[in-house]
Amino acid sequence: MADKDAGAAVPAAVSAGDDDGPQVEGVPEPTYEWMGLSNEWGVRVKPGEHGLRLGDLNVGIYGEVPEEWNDHTRRPRGALPRPGIPPLPYNLRRKHEMWADCAADLYEEAIQRRWIPATEVPWGSLEPLPEEVERAICQICTEFCQYANTELEIITYWQGQMSYGYFEVKQFLATATFDCARHIEAFRKRALANGGGLGIEQRGSVNRMILESRGGWTESVTYLYLLRGTYTMALYRMLLNAAHNDAERFIFSHCIEDHARHLTYGYDHLKYAVTHHVGQDRILQTLLAIGESIMGTELKEGTMGSAMAVLLGGGIEGGRTIGMETYLHGVGDFVRDYLALGEWIGVPREENLNPMLKKYLVY
Amino acid sequence: MSEAPVREQEHELDTSWMDQMGEWGIKAKPGKRGLTLAEIQIGEYGELPETTDNMTGRPRGATPRPEAYRVGAYGVRNLSEIWLENATFLYEEALQRQWSSATDIPWHTIEPLPDDIEEAECLLCTFFNEVEFVAGDVPARWIAKTSPDFFEARHVLIAQVMDEARHMDVFRKRALANGGGLMRMSGATSGFIGSIDLARDFTEMSTRLHISGEGAVLTMFRMGELMGQNDAEKRMYRLCAQDEARHVAFGVMHLRFLCEHAPERRPEIECYLDEAEAQIMAGLQNPAGTQAETSEALAILLGGGKAHYDEGHKMLLVIRRRQLKEYMKRVQSAGFGERFENGRSSIPEQYAAAY
Amino acid sequence: MARFPSEAWFKEVQEVYNSDSSLHTGGGGACETTAAFKVGDECYRIVFEGHQCLEIRSASEAELASPETDFIIEMAPELWKAMVENIQEHGAAHDDQTLNSIDLRQDDSIAYSPEDDQARQDLFYRFNQNFQDFFDASSRVETTFD
Repeated sequence: MADKDAGAAVPAAVSAGDDDGPQVEGVPEPTYEWMGLSNEWGVRVKPGEHGLRLGDLNVGIYGEVPEEWNDHTRRPRGALPRPGIPPLPYNLRRKHEMWADCAADLYEEAIQRRWIPATEVPWGSLEPLPEEVERAICQICTEFCQYANTELEIITYWQGQMSYGYFEVKQFLATATFDCARHIEAFRKRALANGGGLGIEQRGSVNRMILESRGGWTESVTYLYLLRGTYTMALYRMLLNAAHNDAERFIFSHCIEDHARHLTYGYDHLKYAVTHHVGQDRILQTLLAIGESIMGTELKEGTMGSAMAVLLGGGIEGGRTIGMETYLHGVGDFVRDYLALGEWIGVPREENLNPMLKKYLVY
Repeated sequence: MSEAPVREQEHELDTSWMDQMGEWGIKAKPGKRGLTLAEIQIGEYGELPETTDNMTGRPRGATPRPEAYRVGAYGVRNLSEIWLENATFLYEEALQRQWSSATDIPWHTIEPLPDDIEEAECLLCTFFNEVEFVAGDVPARWIAKTSPDFFEARHVLIAQVMDEARHMDVFRKRALANGGGLMRMSGATSGFIGSIDLARDFTEMSTRLHISGEGAVLTMFRMGELMGQNDAEKRMYRLCAQDEARHVAFGVMHLRFLCEHAPERRPEIECYLDEAEAQIMAGLQNPAGTQAETSEALAILLGGGKAHYDEGHKMLLVIRRRQLKEYMKRVQSAGFGERFENGRSSIPEQYAAAY
Repeated sequence: MARFPSEAWFKEVQEVYNSDSSLHTGGGGACETTAAFKVGDECYRIVFEGHQCLEIRSASEAELASPETDFIIEMAPELWKAMVENIQEHGAAHDDQTLNSIDLRQDDSIAYSPEDDQARQDLFYRFNQNFQDFFDASSRVETTFD
């Protein structure tokens, strides 16, 4: 710990002049009671070739991420506690409830890869599209706004309940919410920039499933990222492939990058939870059995499939053939990815996959 | 993505949604600042309801679906509860002015400092970590409670959560970058009655967080240039100050909107301001406050070491006066300036005593 | 060689600022404000739009006081001169010669809103890095003083 009586150099920048008010007779005597109070002193992290990153700070006790964080205050991890501080309602206090090793790196990546819809999307490249196609992209944008809205609402519901022992996750989720805000903005702008408008709202079965997942953040992640998120990624990829202009190409390619970060965190967290919490795999099996059914129903009854088919087929006529075939193939990719991810996470679903999803495997 | 097969099979396609679109024929054009949120506030898409019954998370202007689930449970459904005139501007500004604590701070300019100065800086960084925690947690909590019909205001809050995450991270980085470490927590941001955390109303929270809390912290961040010992610290504080000024602007503009559109709430708001003002100097949430141990750290940093504590303390008084003066002017700008003239507020007295 | 303060000097600084994209990042991103500088009796109006300084020109006092002006930065000529000299010497404002530092050393802010509106005066804080970058760009302008 620092020498309390160390001498002091006077920084050149400091000057106490220019105060023309009346001065106090004496300055209150400092107690310096706070000096010398540190859990670990002498830490000197250095910037690497990518600057000074969040993960670089995990040295000594500052890098010790406990399995359980019983401090209900806002004590920064590694700081010395202060007795007598009233608790706050941090309900998620166990590492397996939110952790993913990649969170700190994803946080920095999100900051480095930020983009600005207002000025970076080449809006001037938009050209009038056939009416049916414009209606399809506008309907898709409307539903994507709702996807992103659901994501940010469920994240912000949990974010304030997460303990500061795991601040890297909270940090990353702040970027994920910001990404969602940007997605809502970009999709809304696209819908309103080319002679169209917004479409009709979704019925929202999967949105409801995500927003009602109150059993813990892990449950939300299961629905938000493993089910809905993996499907969304398949849609983004199809849409990038079918983009009509540079503006759409820019939007979908950047949404893919953002969304890929969210999924990386989500999958990584689920694997961590399954690996580190006894019985979590069984819980996820149950959740997924319910979730697959809701997902399957929305895929069958929702408007997204029809809108995607029209867009991919270049209109209603093409939508009935090549458009729907292409879309169904994309859904098949989603289900295959989902099964592979379940296997990797430790929750194999192949044997019990809901028939409403299984049927897409023929594509 | 595997290659899509081409089949001749014809599928049934329900395209009834095509006849149920929202207002059609909208062609927003980019302005000189690009295609901003303000540019797409056109037609029905720009119409803000005074009170919204949108409980399904529907994007504003989209066609409602009668059978949609009411998943929203939104508590903030009145425009006056959350709105501000410059929301679109503040959001776009936040997007444009993001920065990276990893690469935009010249960390290499940090040199070993005398121990008393390093300890003082580390105490302040520990404190700012806690402050940034509350400023991130609490707005986040309100986002999911606010109807997406007011998404522009909500987007500003989301940008704030992002800013606070970055602030937290930059102060942690500074504490661990120069031979120091984190110190003892202050506990100043805990859930005491009347604190930012426990506010049950958005404007109540905003008054405490954006106007009194962040207003005071803004002055501190600006002071960072005087107390910063190297370019890394100076830049860190300056960039944080820019962000903080946006958050303060949110609070001022929201309070102004509420004052104009819900004048019946004025007496209630005056009470929130009473509570906030009682805490500005006496509470622990202001690092320059009279009770906060961070004040000692500030005097050391401003004076240039323990040996110059008295000199630093004089500068601290200048900070306090700045905080009080700017607070008064912000509250005045929001439409509540009368309280400083009719004797209701104690701030003029506190200002006079801050010498 | 341009004389400080003069419209010609400010225009040269504008040219340097606008042409160097490194001055438009890292916290000094897009900026939207109309502000003014008062150097003794001389007044200048400055407009930032996006990443560009769109306009800098001489103006009358009456123009400065118009509602269009978000805030005015006013300092005694010797303070302006010391700041510009410091920038010339160091390539960027050094130590206590940044706009923010100078401001903090005064009992009253050097930046004020002509309408006495703190929300608009706060734009000085919100866009502080841009104004600093603008004046730091003057290190590349050969300068004389009265």
